[in-house]
Amino acid sequence: MEQKLISISVDGKKIEVDPGMNLIDACALAGASVPSLCFMKDISANASCGVCVVEVEGAKALVRSCVQKPVEGMKIRTAGPRVMSARRTAVELLLANHPTDCLSCIRSGTCELRVLAETLGVRASRYPKLKKFPPPDTSTEGLVRDDSKCILCGRCVAACAETQSVHAIAFAGRGARTRVTSFMDKGLANSPCIQCGQCSVVCPTAAITEKDQSSEVMAALADPRLTMIIQTAPAIRASLGEALGMPPGSLVTGKMVAALRRLGFAKIFDTQFSADLTIMEEGTEFIQRVQTGGTLPMITSCSPGWINFIETFYPELLSHLSSCKSPQQMFGAVAKTFYAQKTGIDPASLRVVSIMPCTAKKGEAGRPEMDSAYRWWREKAEKDGTKMSREHYRDVDWAITTRELARMIRQSAIDMASLPEENFDSSLGESTGAATIFGNTGGVMEAALRTVYEILEGKALPQTDFLPVRGLQGIKTAEVPVAGMKVKVAVAHGLKNARVLLDDIAAGKSDYHFIEVMACPGGCIGGGGQPVLPDIGKKLARNRSLYMEDLRLPERKSHQNAEVSALYKEFLGQPAGHLSHELLHTKYKARIV
Amino acid sequence: MPTTLSSQSSPGIEAIIQKHKGTSGALLKVLENVQEEDPKHYLSESSMRSISSLMGLPLSQVYSMATFYSFFNLKPQGRHSIVVCRGTACHTRGSLALLNEALSRMGIKEFKEEEENSATSLDGFASIRTVACFGQCALAPVVMIDGVVKSRMTIGKLVSLLEKMKKGGVE
Ligand code: SF4
Ligand code: SF4
Ligand code: SF4
Ligand code: FES
Ligand code: FES
Repeated sequence: MEQKLISISVDGKKIEVDPGMNLIDACALAGASVPSLCFMKDISANASCGVCVVEVEGAKALVRSCVQKPVEGMKIRTAGPRVMSARRTAVELLLANHPTDCLSCIRSGTCELRVLAETLGVRASRYPKLKKFPPPDTSTEGLVRDDSKCILCGRCVAACAETQSVHAIAFAGRGARTRVTSFMDKGLANSPCIQCGQCSVVCPTAAITEKDQSSEVMAALADPRLTMIIQTAPAIRASLGEALGMPPGSLVTGKMVAALRRLGFAKIFDTQFSADLTIMEEGTEFIQRVQTGGTLPMITSCSPGWINFIETFYPELLSHLSSCKSPQQMFGAVAKTFYAQKTGIDPASLRVVSIMPCTAKKGEAGRPEMDSAYRWWREKAEKDGTKMSREHYRDVDWAITTRELARMIRQSAIDMASLPEENFDSSLGESTGAATIFGNTGGVMEAALRTVYEILEGKALPQTDFLPVRGLQGIKTAEVPVAGMKVKVAVAHGLKNARVLLDDIAAGKSDYHFIEVMACPGGCIGGGGQPVLPDIGKKLARNRSLYMEDLRLPERKSHQNAEVSALYKEFLGQPAGHLSHELLHTKYKARIV
Repeated sequence: MPTTLSSQSSPGIEAIIQKHKGTSGALLKVLENVQEEDPKHYLSESSMRSISSLMGLPLSQVYSMATFYSFFNLKPQGRHSIVVCRGTACHTRGSLALLNEALSRMGIKEFKEEEENSATSLDGFASIRTVACFGQCALAPVVMIDGVVKSRMTIGKLVSLLEKMKKGGVE
């Protein structure tokens, strides 16, 4: 679309701008950076805080630049005593009711409010404390909401409604009682919240954060009775560096392994190993569905936020979900059976920690059905007539986010940037490029296509890359000729996009065979447990770095993973075989809220 | 939209929704009507759930609107209503004493003015609520009893009105 440019002046500098843009962006074009707080580009602009005010010549009142559009000939002043004092007042009003917890606050290092108060030179608030707050909402496994730190910017409400179409939270009440809350103030656990954590990555303060378990993990590391092993999700290697102050997109695979070793984990394994395993299972399941007339389209099942979503909003479509557990859960089940047996470690003293880009993974690890290893050992003990300790354990003991791991590394004074590159341990540490791209939207689909093609065609792919399913477009589609069939695939990330595909299935209008859904925008690289306040540039940098890793790895197709082949040979038998079903597959059920 | 529990009073609510379908501000009107027709004059959790599922609106949005306007009640209301103005003019002319008198006459022990704006007697006889200003400051202090505004209220007048109410009707 042709847009006629208009000319404005910012602090005396004349520039030409698009009349559709916000004044705050126009000022940035002119080199003047106007501070803002409630505003977040592409997420929310409810103009509630008043921090972004600028002076416009001829206008009586100051103007909120995050929502105002430029007008031909507008003369703007972005600094000066009048705007300065208004900005300070705006922040003082927010601080009046805010706890002075910065010293011990989980967001201290990344808090927009703290930084703003500091840059504006706000030392104290002149205003009285008027509000009372309920205790924090700790009802879910993944997240904590603390109203006392909420500045009512509305970003979380927008992320939940616009990005995810979940609407778990909204503003309620008015005046001093205004708050962000769920229906009847019953807490997130009693709302449709799917634990995706998108609210927690956009929140400028510590009002909504992951439920931090890093100190529990540190305590377990100090317990000599336990064997602590760790798995790292694909997306972590593209974001952990960023969380520790390196440039966005820094690829830190080897340094991350080195840091985890220094933290004291006995073995450093890779969720990418079980991502390759997932492809073997899911690829086989897909082929079986196509050949035996099973339910199509088949939809991927590795994103627990997405699983919560379909169980809540589209329970009638559950038969479309692949029965495969997520790579995190496959790893836990294999570690506590195959690996424990092979090494002679008592599975009851083995602890599996996973590093995930995701807050919903915490809830997934805690699902009651995710204790396959325990059930497997119990059955075995019954069969062999041997005794087994009564202590119940789950497949994955702790799922902690990128942010929590970064915290552990910082607390331990490990300078990750200066560490050498080290390798994962065997025999759950090998992976292929197909597994690494799981972290990007479209990656699971591409990985599955690479393997399904070669299994069905019995020959090497002419071209390993499937470009149409890459990139950050909301919905991507492709048609791939495989063994005389045109396989129609679709990829959606962000649940508002997924709804479009689901509504078509529900209406009987979907002719896709295979669909990938990731709850978070961008896939796991944009997950709810990733470094906070990402913009599109940071997400693209993380996205690119995973495709780089794909090219770097010696093998790029899941069926070429030698450790996975060994696992089938020594333990599981066939993909989608009996033992696989017991350990690697699961069932879903409708969730009523 | 969200899966919701079914509720008892759907048929009446369905008719109300039909009536306002497609009009602007339909949710607000539906909430008003549902509250009017509720025997306890409030928006119950189950009626809000019905409204949400029948109108295809998220529960959080229904709740948002129901908590924004002070005329919506989220708790069951008594058969009689006593509204005491707590605005500045009324306050300086003794509305706190009126409020406390009304509360004690109705046997309501717990009422935190900063946190809630209404309370109902245990027997469901009457609800007492506070408002910020009736806009009749010249006639302060102002109290409204069963919808009728009573100005220049005194403790004595209030006590006799409440006595009458207990015997059946203030009119
Ligand atoms: S949320 Fe920000 S301003 Fe508030 S206590 Fe934490 S660091 Fe300080
Ligand atoms: S975790 Fe996701 S679904 Fe839950 S409130 Fe936050 S954005 Fe909404
Ligand atoms: S919880 Fe965070 S994102 Fe949501 S309104 Fe409060 S400060 Fe803003
Ligand atoms: S950033 Fe513009 S009003 Fe808050
Ligand atoms: S203060 Fe009571 S009517 Fe205005």
